[in-house]
Amino acid sequence: MNIAILGIGCVNPLGRDWNTVRANLAAGRRPESVLLPGPPGHPAHPAYCVPAPFDFVHPRLRRSSAISHFACTAASAAVARSGPLPAGTTALVFAATDGAVVYTRRFYEEVVKSGCGSPLLFPETVYNAPASHVAAMFGIDGPVLTMVSDATAGTDALATAAELIRSGEAGRCLVVASEEADWILCDGSRRWGLSSTGSESRRRGLLSEGAVALVVGAASPGDIVLETVHRGLGIARNSSRRERLEKMFFELAGGTPPEAAVLSSSGAFGGNAEEAALVKLFPGIRLDAPNKLAGEAFAVSTLLQCAWAWQEIRDGRAGRVLVSALGWNGQAGGAVLTVSAREG
Amino acid sequence: MPDPVSQPAAGHLPVITGFGCVSPLGRGLPATRVALRAGTDGISDVRLFSVSSFRAKTAGQVADLPQDDPRRTRAANLVLPAVREALAFRPGFVPELVIAGTTSGGMDFGENFLRGFSEGMSSRDARRWVRGYAPQQPVFDVMEELGFDAPVRVVSNACASGTNALCLAAGLVRGGLARRVMAIGFDALSELVFAGFDALRASTEEKCRPFDSARSGLALGEGAACFLIEDISAARGILAAIPGWGLANDNHHLTQPNPDGSGPRLSMRRALAAAGWDGVDYINAHGTGTPFNDASEAAAIRSVCPSTPVSSTKGMTGHTLGAAGAIEAAFCLLAMEEGFLPPNINLRESDSGLDIVANVARPARIRRAMSNSFGFGGANATVLLEKFP
Repeated sequence: MNIAILGIGCVNPLGRDWNTVRANLAAGRRPESVLLPGPPGHPAHPAYCVPAPFDFVHPRLRRSSAISHFACTAASAAVARSGPLPAGTTALVFAATDGAVVYTRRFYEEVVKSGCGSPLLFPETVYNAPASHVAAMFGIDGPVLTMVSDATAGTDALATAAELIRSGEAGRCLVVASEEADWILCDGSRRWGLSSTGSESRRRGLLSEGAVALVVGAASPGDIVLETVHRGLGIARNSSRRERLEKMFFELAGGTPPEAAVLSSSGAFGGNAEEAALVKLFPGIRLDAPNKLAGEAFAVSTLLQCAWAWQEIRDGRAGRVLVSALGWNGQAGGAVLTVSAREG
Repeated sequence: MPDPVSQPAAGHLPVITGFGCVSPLGRGLPATRVALRAGTDGISDVRLFSVSSFRAKTAGQVADLPQDDPRRTRAANLVLPAVREALAFRPGFVPELVIAGTTSGGMDFGENFLRGFSEGMSSRDARRWVRGYAPQQPVFDVMEELGFDAPVRVVSNACASGTNALCLAAGLVRGGLARRVMAIGFDALSELVFAGFDALRASTEEKCRPFDSARSGLALGEGAACFLIEDISAARGILAAIPGWGLANDNHHLTQPNPDGSGPRLSMRRALAAAGWDGVDYINAHGTGTPFNDASEAAAIRSVCPSTPVSSTKGMTGHTLGAAGAIEAAFCLLAMEEGFLPPNINLRESDSGLDIVANVARPARIRRAMSNSFGFGGANATVLLEKFP
């Protein structure tokens, strides 16, 4: 069974809908960075943020932070494009890297340390809180799963969605990734050397935020489909990283060179390995790297790459596109998108 | 018309060929087996951090956990012996994929990072704590220690995570997408999570008493369990099969289950339909000991399997969050192997209307068992296990 992408939704510092975001990326525009203030005595950190105010109005989101508002907005847009989700046969797979870390920080500061905050902060710290809000908004009573990892959480979510559909556990699946660029996330990433302090932004990218949602389901002829989603690869051991990546890309492409590849590299951390492996394996392949403009939002960036690949095929610029996801945590994943055969 | 979500795919039967377990009942299966049958109370005063500002003072803790490598989180130290024990069943087993369920990952390192802002931290510590906080890192650390490498998928579905990991792993095998998958559930006790449940007044100040009429809340716990799951066609030394599972979502509230039990009822019914079963010999309940959870789950069990013996083992272990589903599946395997129903300790009087295995283990022949796990966000997961052969 071919699995098609039936709807796309996106919220990003470059726009609040997919058409605006892709137009800005195509024009080579980069978002304006903002400085996120830290605690007293600590430096502010730059990040690409969705311009405030940003509110998705729903009773479940009264106490939720931006991550859930982004997720619900992107999901609503994707469903508006795909058509209503079938009752009783829909699954939701959510992807996150840092989740509602803003709430973890607030809960620690206000409740653990000071003992005076609202206990209702705690449930929002849990990784699957945003997914539960999205599920409640659509009344999804099928499998609702939250996958957490580095950028490969995005491909994990796509692979899991495809598996749920192929196994018959779901007829359609809403795949959503969402991230919120809190100061502590920027601080942690900077201390780890994953992101820039601003002055180095040309060398190392900035963290970003937003959400991407994809509705996936059984394909009809002519739909743009997920030809393959790789189940993942551990590449933590540096000695064989490039060889293992080459093997993964070869497996993904089934030995047939794709016309284009969408790189995960945002400039935040080592994207050279994926570029080198792809060029060696598929000489002449066209490489796009939208995250170098949009910034690093981990799982969100991976789904953004998929949306970019979908658009390339939809607009006739490529017939078959490989998406590469290379995570900071030694994980790699990927997908190949193409057009479902017209004869079915 | 059958529920389309529960239709099993034609394919390969997933079977368990090895498992390991670390919980407040013991580090490893031999100790766990004895303590489980004896109804040991594994809850004690919290020693890992100060609880002076909290209402609750106790939790289920794994005693004498080696902490020989400061680069590893407590969670990694829980996962390591569980994985090692599971692999001992199948020397040479290399998973094609690892699926891990956890709620808080390496939260102890996350807490260190947060403390560091007021107490100071070196760059080296900061880097280590950030890296270790990632929920997948404990699994990477264990793979490195044991000398194997595999892609890792982490499912973080609150307290249903461990069962979700088992179901996703079994699903990969059933769908023919993998032949050898490792499923892990883990969570370590941490101050932030302890404070969270305490602030919500979900934790008890006295004994955790699942399904008791006067239950007053949960006790937290910690642990890990690991399973080797293979396609039956290639498996050796089969311990049990995973013939079905059910996942369902309850959109009632972020933290509270629907009182009518609709979420658990749906996950149990989907699991039974997937396996083609009309009942089981034993149910290991989620049974946290909170008034809302136990009432909702009891309502669901009464409508799906009204006469089946039920116990919650959380009175012994505490609620181990993302590890709970995995640990309790391991308890089901031990109960099948040894022929007893694990006791639901600390029970005085039950208002559940269920056949609760009260306080003392009951001899029984179990061929088919069900394990329930439910979590924040309305996550409901049920997995079925069948003794093999």
